[in-house]
Amino acid sequence: MPEGVVFDLGYTPYDGPRSGRGGARWALYRDGLRRVLGLRRKARRKVLPALLLAGALLPAVIYVAVGIVAGELDAAAELFGHPEYFDLTGAISLVFIALAASELIVPDRVNGTMSLYASRPLTGDDYVLMRAASLATVVFAFVWLPHVFLYVGRAWTANEGLGSYATGNLDTLWQTALASAVYLVAYGSVGLLVASLSSRPSVAAAVFLAVVTISGPTTGSLVDNDIPVAGLGALQHHPGHVKDWIMDSSTHLWIPERAEYEPIVSLIAIGVVAVACGLVVRARSRNAA
Amino acid sequence: MSSIVATQGLRFAYGDLVALDDVSIDVPPGRIGLVGANGAGKTTLLKLLLGVLSPADGSVDVLGHRVPDDAIAVRSRVGWMPEGDCLPPDQTAADFLIYAAELGGLPTRAARQRASDVLTIVGLHEERFRSMGEFSTGMQQRAKLAQAIVHDPDLVLLDEPTAGLDPEGREEMLDLVTRLEEFEIDAVISSHVLTDIERTCDWVVMLDGGSVLRSGPLTDLSTTEEVELHVIGDAAAVEASLAAHAEVRRDGDELVVVAPGLDAFALVRDALVTADAGVRRLGAKRTTLEDIFLAEGGDDA
Repeated sequence: MPEGVVFDLGYTPYDGPRSGRGGARWALYRDGLRRVLGLRRKARRKVLPALLLAGALLPAVIYVAVGIVAGELDAAAELFGHPEYFDLTGAISLVFIALAASELIVPDRVNGTMSLYASRPLTGDDYVLMRAASLATVVFAFVWLPHVFLYVGRAWTANEGLGSYATGNLDTLWQTALASAVYLVAYGSVGLLVASLSSRPSVAAAVFLAVVTISGPTTGSLVDNDIPVAGLGALQHHPGHVKDWIMDSSTHLWIPERAEYEPIVSLIAIGVVAVACGLVVRARSRNAA
Repeated sequence: MSSIVATQGLRFAYGDLVALDDVSIDVPPGRIGLVGANGAGKTTLLKLLLGVLSPADGSVDVLGHRVPDDAIAVRSRVGWMPEGDCLPPDQTAADFLIYAAELGGLPTRAARQRASDVLTIVGLHEERFRSMGEFSTGMQQRAKLAQAIVHDPDLVLLDEPTAGLDPEGREEMLDLVTRLEEFEIDAVISSHVLTDIERTCDWVVMLDGGSVLRSGPLTDLSTTEEVELHVIGDAAAVEASLAAHAEVRRDGDELVVVAPGLDAFALVRDALVTADAGVRRLGAKRTTLEDIFLAEGGDDA
């Protein structure tokens, strides 16, 4: 009769290469990407990011599909250009950032995982930078991807041919990339700040959405009551104001615009808020370790 | 024999509260027990060894590196098992271990292999695809130990590894800690349970109120200069015979004989002959860590 034998292979020391701090940073970055997208997590963690991305892509998909069928893309271009599309993707990106930032930062602190990072070849700054890089990668892709899709769709169905459209509208690519980066910095930094101060992801997401969306009507009414400096606090409107500047468009009368601030002022405001948020997140992560 | 941990005049305070004061230790490779009551400064010392905290005064060297200045080099070779939670509840043990190994600098392929091996060693291989939020306390402690050794460190710092475990889980954890020697991983094990340290360690550092009570090998705790015996017959006569040469403490028929510089066993033999008494039990008195702790004025751990 055959008998099973259990072999105790024992412990095998590892004597292969070690990538040190660089490898630890890369691991942290990749973990951030997986966490934001819900990869290697339960299915329900993947649903919301996928739905939001689908929601952001859907208008471009419909637009291109209708254009292919009806052959009237060029005529409709004025109604649905990249600047207008930003107003939609920017709004959806708010929800995406609310979820992503809280999922990146809050569990590490609540679950005590920060103490694990403190025992690996990482510094507190590495942690903040890699988490921010993960968020930046995913959010940038989230905001820019629909524009790339729209650009390719237009090129594909353009009357003048794909090559002519693509080369003649190359500016669109860098303009939309730059504007995407502005949205990312403006919203992402605040998202990380709120997440670093919260103990529950859902609360962090709700507070972030409330702070950013309420900043619009609140500062708007103050600006309308002759307090123009309040326009600097319109967190939701600064990226749109800068986007119109980059793309030489005017899709909306932004609150900083109503307060007669130039787009460069909005850009500086975004930078100042981002740096301030970064400093607070850095301090919080050090305390958590 | 080079030391794995050396501190000199180490001092650390949380505001006005002094957690460690003038701590100077020099410990060799092996399994090092760090004992003391709650609040004695054990976790603070471990965090100083990791470079998470910076000393207010004095120096800390771990594996030949000065911390916190060279903390990155130390952390590349050290594992850490915190007393509190550190496990993401929504991740599987396998994914988390791979991630922990990658954070230790291992390439992904090697990290996968190491994660699988280490989960087998700690007895979680069958549970590797379960979310860690579903783990029992014992399984969580084993997962915490696994993440501490998954990148094959030279030294692991274990903070209260048996905390919250039932007797069976405690036995399993102590067995794993004992096996670290077989893995050629040195360990500093913090605990307020003295018997855990006696069982697993070969060197002990005793802390009390932020100061070092004692730092030395556990083998020093056994001595032939001090024996205990249970007398059959006239214990008082045996005590009287011994009293001329040694310090004797008697409790009924039980005697403890302390004879510094002399062979206590030979003295007992002669005294038994003189008193015409027999002996039911005779052996070297094993001084426990608790004896030392109480004798040197430590709080009851």
